[in-house]
Amino acid sequence: MRRLIAAMKKEVLLLIRDKIGLSILFIMPMVLITVMTLIQDAAFSNINEEGVPVVFINNDQDTLGNRIEAGLKQAEMVKFFDEIDGKKATPESAMEAIKQGKFLVGIVIPEGATEAVEDNVLNIVAESMGMEEEGVELETKTAEVRLIIDPVASKSFVISISSQLREYISSVKTQIMFETFKGEIASLLPEEPEEKESKYAGKQVILYNQEYASALVGEIAPSAVQHNVPAWTIFSLFFIVIPLVGSIMREKTEGSVFRFHTIPASYLLQSNAKVLVYVGVCMVQFVLMLLIGLFLMPVLGMDRLILGNSYVGLFVIALASSMAATGYGVLVGALAATQQQGAILGSLSILVLSALGGIWVPTYVMPDIMRSISHFSPLNWALDGFYGLFLRGEGLTEILPHVGLLVAFFVACIAVATAINKSKRKV
Amino acid sequence: MDSTKIIEVELISKSFAGKETPAVKNLSFTIKKNEAFGLLGPNGAGKTTTISMLCGLFNPNSGSVKVNGFDLRTDLDKVKHQIGVVPQDIALYPTLTGRENLEFYGAMYGVPKQKLKLEIEHWLNKLEMAVSANKRVETYSGGMKRRINLIAGILHKPELLFLDEPTVGVDVQSRAAIMSHLKDLNDAGMTIIYTSHHLEEAEKFCSDVAIIDAGEIIARGKPTDLVTSHEGCRDLEDVFLKLTNVKMRD
Repeated sequence: MRRLIAAMKKEVLLLIRDKIGLSILFIMPMVLITVMTLIQDAAFSNINEEGVPVVFINNDQDTLGNRIEAGLKQAEMVKFFDEIDGKKATPESAMEAIKQGKFLVGIVIPEGATEAVEDNVLNIVAESMGMEEEGVELETKTAEVRLIIDPVASKSFVISISSQLREYISSVKTQIMFETFKGEIASLLPEEPEEKESKYAGKQVILYNQEYASALVGEIAPSAVQHNVPAWTIFSLFFIVIPLVGSIMREKTEGSVFRFHTIPASYLLQSNAKVLVYVGVCMVQFVLMLLIGLFLMPVLGMDRLILGNSYVGLFVIALASSMAATGYGVLVGALAATQQQGAILGSLSILVLSALGGIWVPTYVMPDIMRSISHFSPLNWALDGFYGLFLRGEGLTEILPHVGLLVAFFVACIAVATAINKSKRKV
Repeated sequence: MDSTKIIEVELISKSFAGKETPAVKNLSFTIKKNEAFGLLGPNGAGKTTTISMLCGLFNPNSGSVKVNGFDLRTDLDKVKHQIGVVPQDIALYPTLTGRENLEFYGAMYGVPKQKLKLEIEHWLNKLEMAVSANKRVETYSGGMKRRINLIAGILHKPELLFLDEPTVGVDVQSRAAIMSHLKDLNDAGMTIIYTSHHLEEAEKFCSDVAIIDAGEIIARGKPTDLVTSHEGCRDLEDVFLKLTNVKMRD
């Protein structure tokens, strides 16, 4: 035990004396988590609060064009413009302005668009009421709504704006159809009915309710903070690999390992001391990240991080993630032959594992094959565990499978690293 | 087992992957207790490989090594309790102080806390490092680092001490101090196995030397005996050059 304590004391002293290493360990992750959350929150609120700049050209100037214009003006995700540099927008000027990045999307409603819809509706009415001449196909006019898109616009935004346009067109068509049918039916009645507003027309019959499948009902609204703090915390925890590999490689190259192997204490003890200290460092990092989510984010105008219902679960998943990160560092340290090799292997593999694990983009937007691969990333197990606690309101029991995978990963890394070190000594 | 022998090496060989010739070839020798044994040879002769095998760092491909009667393959842990190693590289943590390094290595050797404190003070004073002991190793001169490197290997009072080039790169004063204290340790009963390129130093210090080249022992005996038995040689360096050729080695 005294040996373990002495080895741990040595590790702590080495860490404390390495100012650059300490800044990498604590300050950089704190900066990273704050910057990334702010950026992602800004991107999120740009769409939801300020809206994306859209230029609108209404050449129809009739029901359809006007309805779309009114709808876009009310839409939260859209910042509506119909002028460019103080002049009425045209399809040509819109194209040029979008090329220059002034707008994300331009919408051109052509002249006669409403007429085309009305024409089509009349044809449908005539057909359904048996009023068309036999053997004669009625002429159908068409109108093309143009969507001019900046190539940088996200696909999801384009899909969203297109579906909104379709919704407006469909609602205008329905309204015109309803009014046409109403007129035709009235013409068939012996007495002209009194023109009055229907009391049922504007009634909402299909209600829309959005709720989160979470035990934290009423407590959370998924936000950039709630998503980003756990994601970047895990990313930072796994970056412990870099200083840890550095420490292992320095001992290899500076000759300490040579002395260790001649000391009547197993090298595993040295390794265990290192693991214990670095797991401790990860836990301190973790607490600092949570404090940022709890206290700094609200000061910066973002939501406060909600920790969920299970502090025990939180501690356990943080500990398991820290163990997995440290174990991986020990493995990279065993694989690498030089400090440079270790740094490159460690940092690049963490970037790949984090991308696969859903840190950068959610796994649900990944192609099927990548989504399947993502289940093999320890960062994905950790992230899922944290999301369980922070977003779904789960407890320790529900996250135990993730904890189990992370601990198994840690054990496997240490076992493989030990085998590699042994085989290297046998050379 | 012969109780006067502390090292018994029998036909050990070692080859490394990718190397055409073996580093050590069928080496056999014994070393008596309380000897100051010098293992001398040009670069690449197999000195460090031999020392590394004797202190259990890696196993030979064939042959056996016994230290104080314990077989290295089966009783490595018992062997480790009896040996001290001062490697050629400065195996110290540069950002720790000299004292912190010694406290760490002493604890690793299992020296009791109070005893360790006394031993550290004793050796720091003896090797004139007490004043600098609380400074970081990275601020030390080469000689100071070598002295702390030596203390780290002897804090637990081993019966057998391996020294791989203990005075390489140090000034004359530090070298003299180190060798004087090694002599004291040897006089006090510690067996020392030592490699060096300083043949004059080895001639003065060692009671027994072996000259190794291309992984084989080519001469063995007391330094004075080796000098007298080789015609035209005035000192150990002449013997060394005569036996290993004057041609420079890589």
